[in-house]
Amino acid sequence: MPRFLLRRFAAAIVLVWLVATVTFALVSLAPGDAAAGLADPRVAPEVRERFRRDFGLDRPWPARYLTWLAGAARGDLGVSWVHHRPVAAVLADAVPATALLAGLGLLLEIAGGLALALVQLRRPHGRADRALTALSLVAYALPAFVVALLLQYLFAYRFRLLPPSHTLSPGGELLTGLPRLLDQLRHLVLPVAAIALTGAGAVARYLRGSLLDERGQLYVLAARARGCSERRALWAHALPNALLPLVTMVGLSLPFLISGSLVIEVIFAWPGMGQTMVAAALARDLPLLMGGTLLATLAVVAGNALADLAYALVDPRVRL
Amino acid sequence: MAGAAMTKRTRSACWLALVLALLAGCARRPAPPAAGGEVVVGILADISTFNEYQSLGDAYEAQVMDLLFPSLLVEQPDWQEHPPTFAPSLATRWETSADGRVITFHLRPDARWSDGVPITADDVRFTFDVQRDERISAPGLEIKRFIEAVEVVDPHTVRFAFSRVYPYQLMDANDGHVIPKHAWGAVPLERWESTDFGAILVTGGPFRVASHARGQTLVLERDPNWWGAPRPYLDRLVFRVVPDSGGQLAQLLAGHLDLVEVVPPREAGRVAASPELELLRLPGRTWGFVAWNNRRPAFADRDTRCALSLAINRPTLVESVYHGFARLGTGPVLASMWAFNKALAPLPFDPARARELLARAGWRDADGDGTVERGGRPFEFDLLVPAGNNLRRDMALLIQADLARLGIRCRPREVEAAAHLALLDAGDFDASLTAYTEATKVELASVWATPADDGGSYNFAGYSNPEVDRLIAEADAAPDFESARPILDRIQELIVADQPVTFLYESDKLVAMNRRIRGARINSGSIFFNADEWTAGR
Amino acid sequence: MSAPRTPPRLVTGAATLAVLALAVLLGPLLAGDPAAIVDPPAAGLLPPLARRTVVELRDGSTLAGETARRADGRWLVERRGGQRVVAEADVAAVSERRFWLGTDNLGRDQLARLLTGGRVSLAIGAVALTLALLVGTAAGLAAGWRGGAVDAVLMRLADGLLAVPILFLLILLAALFRPSPAALVAVLGLTSWMDVARLVRGQVLTLKEREFVLAARAIGASDLRIAVVHLLPNLAAPLAQGAALRLGDLILAEAALSFLGLGVQPPLASWGAMVAHGQEFFPAAWWLTFPAGAAVVTAVIGAALLADGVGEAARADLHAAP
Repeated sequence: MPRFLLRRFAAAIVLVWLVATVTFALVSLAPGDAAAGLADPRVAPEVRERFRRDFGLDRPWPARYLTWLAGAARGDLGVSWVHHRPVAAVLADAVPATALLAGLGLLLEIAGGLALALVQLRRPHGRADRALTALSLVAYALPAFVVALLLQYLFAYRFRLLPPSHTLSPGGELLTGLPRLLDQLRHLVLPVAAIALTGAGAVARYLRGSLLDERGQLYVLAARARGCSERRALWAHALPNALLPLVTMVGLSLPFLISGSLVIEVIFAWPGMGQTMVAAALARDLPLLMGGTLLATLAVVAGNALADLAYALVDPRVRL
Repeated sequence: MAGAAMTKRTRSACWLALVLALLAGCARRPAPPAAGGEVVVGILADISTFNEYQSLGDAYEAQVMDLLFPSLLVEQPDWQEHPPTFAPSLATRWETSADGRVITFHLRPDARWSDGVPITADDVRFTFDVQRDERISAPGLEIKRFIEAVEVVDPHTVRFAFSRVYPYQLMDANDGHVIPKHAWGAVPLERWESTDFGAILVTGGPFRVASHARGQTLVLERDPNWWGAPRPYLDRLVFRVVPDSGGQLAQLLAGHLDLVEVVPPREAGRVAASPELELLRLPGRTWGFVAWNNRRPAFADRDTRCALSLAINRPTLVESVYHGFARLGTGPVLASMWAFNKALAPLPFDPARARELLARAGWRDADGDGTVERGGRPFEFDLLVPAGNNLRRDMALLIQADLARLGIRCRPREVEAAAHLALLDAGDFDASLTAYTEATKVELASVWATPADDGGSYNFAGYSNPEVDRLIAEADAAPDFESARPILDRIQELIVADQPVTFLYESDKLVAMNRRIRGARINSGSIFFNADEWTAGR
Repeated sequence: MSAPRTPPRLVTGAATLAVLALAVLLGPLLAGDPAAIVDPPAAGLLPPLARRTVVELRDGSTLAGETARRADGRWLVERRGGQRVVAEADVAAVSERRFWLGTDNLGRDQLARLLTGGRVSLAIGAVALTLALLVGTAAGLAAGWRGGAVDAVLMRLADGLLAVPILFLLILLAALFRPSPAALVAVLGLTSWMDVARLVRGQVLTLKEREFVLAARAIGASDLRIAVVHLLPNLAAPLAQGAALRLGDLILAEAALSFLGLGVQPPLASWGAMVAHGQEFFPAAWWLTFPAGAAVVTAVIGAALLADGVGEAARADLHAAP
């Protein structure tokens, strides 16, 4: 186990370093003068030169690379050109919002998919099963942004049941306690639903197949022979085994979760990583762009490692 | 079995409770504001800094600064008939010396910053020092170049000394808001760019910052320290970031927003039709054009450029994209401005004449492939279009279609705004679809004078006409507007004849406002011109 | 024992994809020019099934009227935005046109755009899939067959690539360079081969111990020959299923990217880009988003059904075999 952790840690460091380097290379290769977009064109050339010096753009790229790398290792990701604050602070503001959205979305899509699959399995190939199979197929096939737009139109603009965007109502920052929590919950409903609906379809499809397979296995038959009810056999025996690969699936879907919620964030004006990165890209805020990409890679690598660890802990057959 | 049923019932009860709670939340919005009222404004992007002298400021921030920071004077919205006049604000009165080179401002003694510290001439002096410092990259350097010194006579009297007498002295002295020396004076100018001024924020306008949820909402509340008490009447002015104008409009129509500054022309009808909303149509100061890179061989001669202008169906373009909320562009000075040469008219749409001019300029389709050539090179080019702007994208497609009929291959190419600017600045482009928003100062040098070798100009097209250069210098040296007028007229004639760019449109400013806002005198210069006098009914 | 039936899902899925492919290949030839701008003030944002008389003038511009009458050597065109009168000499052609799926704000025929855009969407998906299949199969074969260091390196690489946050990199790329369909295909393909490689590797590991493979090795067949003649045919079924699933995911990915403005750039259209363009007119002009969205959903459903069907057929085969 400690060897596993060490190996994974080493691999993670290498990977993160690789991504950081590739990002830096891409950004350095970009055409056009990075500083030109920052200063007003009418500014005198001497002022622009001073500007470039302030932002360290006049040094050769190996020096810039090493400086940035050294700083990143210490946790200093530089200062954002647009926000005039440390990159780490800007990211620290944005990450919780995305984590909340993605986390809740993930939870609900697994719960939803599981519920769907279980209902379908009560009577396989029955009417409910066939209807739900078709439904989960359509849900899976729908692009997330289409679902998001539809939900927003229906519930926010047409029927005015829920707020169309943001995390709080105007003036909501002044609320405290239960009213504030309720306001936040109301604003979470649509974006989370958009993520969860499409994800639940995929999960349901996968789980249904995998549960059916497990149910046919010998150990389940043996349990039934011992006198377990159908339901108990399902829940206590087949389900845990069917869920195992789900753990890996969750780990693999982390990159999509981080980036997939980006579309949702844009549509619902959610102040998370997605919006921040898009704005940074538009303004060519290089420090923020590099810091954000680094952070996203770190998150995914960590998530995968955790998923592997969880899998190993849960499944006694797996040896690290 | 009984146990399982119980669990199931409890579960259903929980779900039901949750749903009911959500619906209850529906019925109860955050409590309605007290007497003064609240106005919610939609903005496309969060303001990135509270210090306008940090780089990357943009239009939203300028408007918000009006609400938070004082200026010596308030520019009046009367720039259509004559150069703008000024009303007192921080400065209650001012005198000009006999030779015209010194203006003395008398500040009001009761002006205070939001933390109670008095606003004095020291702050004005500090502001001027910042505006002129080379370590700050704001364009203040350019604007303040004729101000030699700013002298503190006493805490409420400040004297501006100019190096010459010219018509815009008051405007230049007044440019930029006054910032607090006691709060920001300690920040070394080398660290200006990396300092978060929001953390050490002190304001001096009718409103102060109540809260700022980054990327989402900025809440301003009445500042009791402001000298104009009992104004402002509003309790709160809330800025909500809604990143796209379609979403803004939807929220406006649903009542979540009260004021939207940029209404897409296509949606103007919906706003006008809504009984709760009012559509304000104001003479705009934004004009759009196609900049031809005059340095490239294809665009170097006047005949070709005139042909391009005549070939583009500008009336249809304006009608299709702006639905009547814009007029055809004529020349370098907006038709709505006082300095416009009224003898000039927009070029007509005349593809026949365009063909003649192209032929005269030497363009022929010798190989019959549908594209004209000159000197063996086909007439094809990239048209840069800033990304994310649907109106410009549509315009580019219309232009492409118009030019294709004359055998000219135009390829629209979308680029990010920052990249766009970088390419324009470097002169590394063929043609670009661009728009400027004019200030109320008629200043032609930065756009139309031959650019200096080291850059530093808005003349991306690379236009160079020595006669125009000479006249611009003459107009700049004129002591007053009346003597500058005939020179400005002649400059406009020459530029229109040269067609260094194709003048496309001058768009109206469309603002959508909820009718419960009363007393607003919104003008195209500043949305919040008299925000301290607004009231908001229910 | 009767021969196993071809699962209905396989047929439905394959048929759906085939119909879509046919439609986007042949459709543009019949539906007209998707880029043709038709009198935007008069023909902009027309609902589906709208019919207009289109008068093309010699100078290239168009007028689209509800009616157009000829009298005294002149054409009178009654149109939204005002009546127009043109001399007959100036008219190049007059035709009746029906816009089956309506028009966008520039008067462009949405049906034509849907079909042409479909070419782009499906082509990008198909080419990216092919790339992913080629790279993934090669990698999986090498890793599974050779084992050892080759296996370790390739699988580490695959794991690493899986961790890369694609969308962020794409934002970066789009901000700095100009996204093109080729770049899109490359990025999508190169980030999708990992699953294929894993799948192939797993299969190869099992097949390695089968008798016919051992026999081939015993008689000294080269690695390449074994791979092509013995391994590949047995990989066909799982690969086909994986490929069909991937196709659906790739089409969805292209749609999302184009929606964000990171994929296909105007004036080239794809289904995702059409939804993005039509979003600002939603819900009034729903015909700008709905057909393109429905097309994406249909394609993905078709691919998923195909994948399910192939899986079912493989399982049936397995159970039917002695």
